[in-house]
Amino acid sequence: MSTSSPFTTPRFTNLLARIAAGLCLLLLSAMAAAQTWQHEQGRVSLDKPPQRIVALNWAATEALLLLGVTPVGVADKSGYATWVREPMLPDHVPNIGTRVAPSLEAIAELEPDLIVTSSEMAPAAVLLHQIAPTYVSSVYKKGARPFAKARQMLITLAEMLDRADRAREILADIDTTLANQRRRLEAYGVHKRSVALVSFLDDRHVRIFAPNGLYQTTLDGLGLDNVWPHEGNYWGFSTVGLEAIAPYPNGRIVVIEPTRPGLSDKLAQSPFWTYLPAVQRNQVYQIEPVWPFGAVFPVKRLAIQLTDALIQGGADNVR
Amino acid sequence: MYAESQVASAAPRLPGKLPLTATLLLLGALAASAAPWFLERDPVSVVSAFWSYDGGDYTSVLAHFSWAPRVSIALLIGCGLGLAGAVTQQVLGNPLASPTTLGVEAGGQFGVTLATLFAPALLAFSQDLVAVAGGLLAIGMVIALTWRLGFSPVTVILAGLVITFFMGALNMAFMLIKGEWLGNLFIWGAGSLVQNSWQPFMDLWPRVLILGAALVLLMRPLQLLQIGQASASSLGARVGLLRMLALFLVVLMSATVVSRVGVVAFVGLAAPVLARLLGARTLQERLIWSMLLGGGLLLLADTLAHWASSWGDGSLVPTGTTTALIGGPIILLALQGFKNTHHMPGQESNPGAFLPKRRSVLVTGAVLLCLLLATFFVSMGWSPGLQEWSWTPIADWGEAWVWRGPRLLAAILAGVCLGLAGSLIQRMTGNVMASPELLGISGGAALVMVLIVLTGTEIGRAGQLGAATLGAAGALGLLILLARRHRFAGNQLLLGGLALYVFMDSGLRLVMASGGTVAAKLLNWMYGATWLISETEALSLLGLTLVICLTLFVAIRPLTLLALGDTSASSLGLPVTRARLGLLILAAILTAAATVVIGPLSFVGLIAPHLARVLGQQTVGRQMIGSALAGGLLLALADYLSRIVIFPSQLPAGLLAALVGGIYFLWGLSRHGRA
Repeated sequence: MSTSSPFTTPRFTNLLARIAAGLCLLLLSAMAAAQTWQHEQGRVSLDKPPQRIVALNWAATEALLLLGVTPVGVADKSGYATWVREPMLPDHVPNIGTRVAPSLEAIAELEPDLIVTSSEMAPAAVLLHQIAPTYVSSVYKKGARPFAKARQMLITLAEMLDRADRAREILADIDTTLANQRRRLEAYGVHKRSVALVSFLDDRHVRIFAPNGLYQTTLDGLGLDNVWPHEGNYWGFSTVGLEAIAPYPNGRIVVIEPTRPGLSDKLAQSPFWTYLPAVQRNQVYQIEPVWPFGAVFPVKRLAIQLTDALIQGGADNVR
Repeated sequence: MYAESQVASAAPRLPGKLPLTATLLLLGALAASAAPWFLERDPVSVVSAFWSYDGGDYTSVLAHFSWAPRVSIALLIGCGLGLAGAVTQQVLGNPLASPTTLGVEAGGQFGVTLATLFAPALLAFSQDLVAVAGGLLAIGMVIALTWRLGFSPVTVILAGLVITFFMGALNMAFMLIKGEWLGNLFIWGAGSLVQNSWQPFMDLWPRVLILGAALVLLMRPLQLLQIGQASASSLGARVGLLRMLALFLVVLMSATVVSRVGVVAFVGLAAPVLARLLGARTLQERLIWSMLLGGGLLLLADTLAHWASSWGDGSLVPTGTTTALIGGPIILLALQGFKNTHHMPGQESNPGAFLPKRRSVLVTGAVLLCLLLATFFVSMGWSPGLQEWSWTPIADWGEAWVWRGPRLLAAILAGVCLGLAGSLIQRMTGNVMASPELLGISGGAALVMVLIVLTGTEIGRAGQLGAATLGAAGALGLLILLARRHRFAGNQLLLGGLALYVFMDSGLRLVMASGGTVAAKLLNWMYGATWLISETEALSLLGLTLVICLTLFVAIRPLTLLALGDTSASSLGLPVTRARLGLLILAAILTAAATVVIGPLSFVGLIAPHLARVLGQQTVGRQMIGSALAGGLLLALADYLSRIVIFPSQLPAGLLAALVGGIYFLWGLSRHGRA
């Protein structure tokens, strides 16, 4: 079959190729114009979306995974699976040391084209810059509002990675989830009483999550009141003796795992605990680990877990 | 050999009658503790909270199961520790001895940390067991080390202090690696008396009672010790056995307490010191009043801690923090009664007895330098990667330098600075146990850093350096003020430095209890995070070190003269006081520069000068050269190891140095005793 259409004449093909080449050039030059982002300790310029990213804390790791980018190296990898859990971190990602003292040499060996860290690493900023462009974003620091900061970090990372749509989806999904769970709580009529979010350190001490923490975003979204009125440290919690929750007899107690083995026995033997109004009302709820010092995702995870637990009904002790 | 009678009579007395003060303290503490309850409930039901409660009224439940057991346990533990402290002081004839200063509490903590991590089953079986084992280990080491020195007071305290630091460093190493899991250990290390049932009190009181009774039964034989060992032996008392038994009971008492409520430091020291200052003379008086004052002090400290928690944002202020705050002033008070004539380690009348053979400074220096260079080469070249160990070819060193160079250079320089500072201080004080670490100059720098972390301020490296220098200078100023009366004589400086550490310690406890992550960050710095050093910082440190080395040439003559004693030195035309002051300032700058790099607890300033002497460098100039090189070598090794042992995680280099340094110090001390 030899039809000679005008579109296949050599001259036309040639023209097409030239236009395409021209367009490509235009596009390339547009991409090559490095984009710059402002961050807490200066600015970072990227020629193209980074491919090899190293995350120095779990909030950054989580944000990258949410955006669908697997970091080439993370800090404290083994702890992530226990404390953060979701979104899942693939097994093959190498560990580059602890979050407080990562190995610069290991980071350099990975030849990253972007490092994501927080101002906790401020003293190391100069060194990190020598390895790769470094984006500094602290979700947790004095005076910061964790969720707003985490949101901003996600959006900026998404811009760098050219995945702005994805970030919008994630944030919209979180808003929808909060609204849905709130409706569920209201439908079951379990939204009125305030809650105390605690994690047990031993049978005498708990961390109680404060209104300046990340969890408050979930509580606000669900329309729940936080029992604890005080500001915590900048991580958003206070370490308190168990008796500190006694002055708030109307609250429900939500216990975030992991709890130590033997805790429930010890508490059961303590009349202080068994006489606690919330315990007497069977309003102790236990939920799976949610990382309180993460980025945006724990807000969603906590919302679902918390709603499920509150609807399912409480017990008179931890499990 | 034992200086107990001297100690007892040398103490100055505070005015006031002992029974009156003790009663006031106890009643005051009780009233303060009960005050918030009186606002909510009538007096009768506040008092009856100790034996009854009303299930329908939660305030009553709270008073009965939270407040009343807390008060009871504070009194019980306070009495127990006060008694234990008084007995320790009597047994060792040492006004600064106590379960805390002998390392018993640190040992107990060490035992529990180890068990938590590696043998949780053992912990579930008996928490006391591991704490007692740790406590015995600590005091056993102190005794073994100071045996031949006749338990001379300052040596015992120094050995106890080093054991405390050493075990603390081991503790920290575990906490840094496993931090997330040890949130409760952080609190427990700070000592919290929070209660929510009577169970712990019920467990504890029979033990404390039995141990207390046993200690009181030992009173009679102990009294014989007061008339001196020789006379006691002639009266048929088996002195050695008696001491051991008493100390064993003390360890049991403190470890039992530690395993339940955590490290409540310094009560065992404060109570007997206070009793003595208030005029308790006989042993009987001292035991009884120490016990009662201990109870009152701990209740007061605990009430203050409780108030501090409720006044602030509600977050826990551990009781260990407030007791440690009491500890500092108490040591200073006790120092007032400490006679300058006390036998100090390193001030033997015949130092020639254990002088090692002199060696050529050229040969020794060359050997040290070669070792240093070898370490440098290995550290730069042979290194683990994410896949495997590899040798970096010299051509690629330019690249490797960025990661390995500045930290290595800074570590070496910090070692040099500490070695020099240590030599300076040992020469000035004429005491081979003196060092920037033990003198509290590093402690002052560290204290400032702890405060910065406590307030949550973010400062860069320059800020850290400035703050640390300020802290070191502040500590030094304080030491000068304290020691001016004694014309900068060694003993007071040494023990004054100890008091500074105690303050730093209380801040550290608070940080540790308030949040794991902050604590991990601080601990990393405290134990020397060399990896944070940038090239510019390393090079400026190099500049500073060179300048100071040049200055030190001038200092050789005054240092040589000062060793001859104040009288001889001033008769040879040296303005003694001014020379000492200048040298102290020089030592402070050196220490601050090193502390920022390696943290306050590396012991290099203690062992490098000692090493130089062992290597046969005795004159001032030679000792300084040897000591600087040895210090550099030690920290270069520590830095290399810190980078590679658990790659890609790192240990703080200062921590490794502290572990090595601690072992060396203990070895040196025992060797010292033999000679």
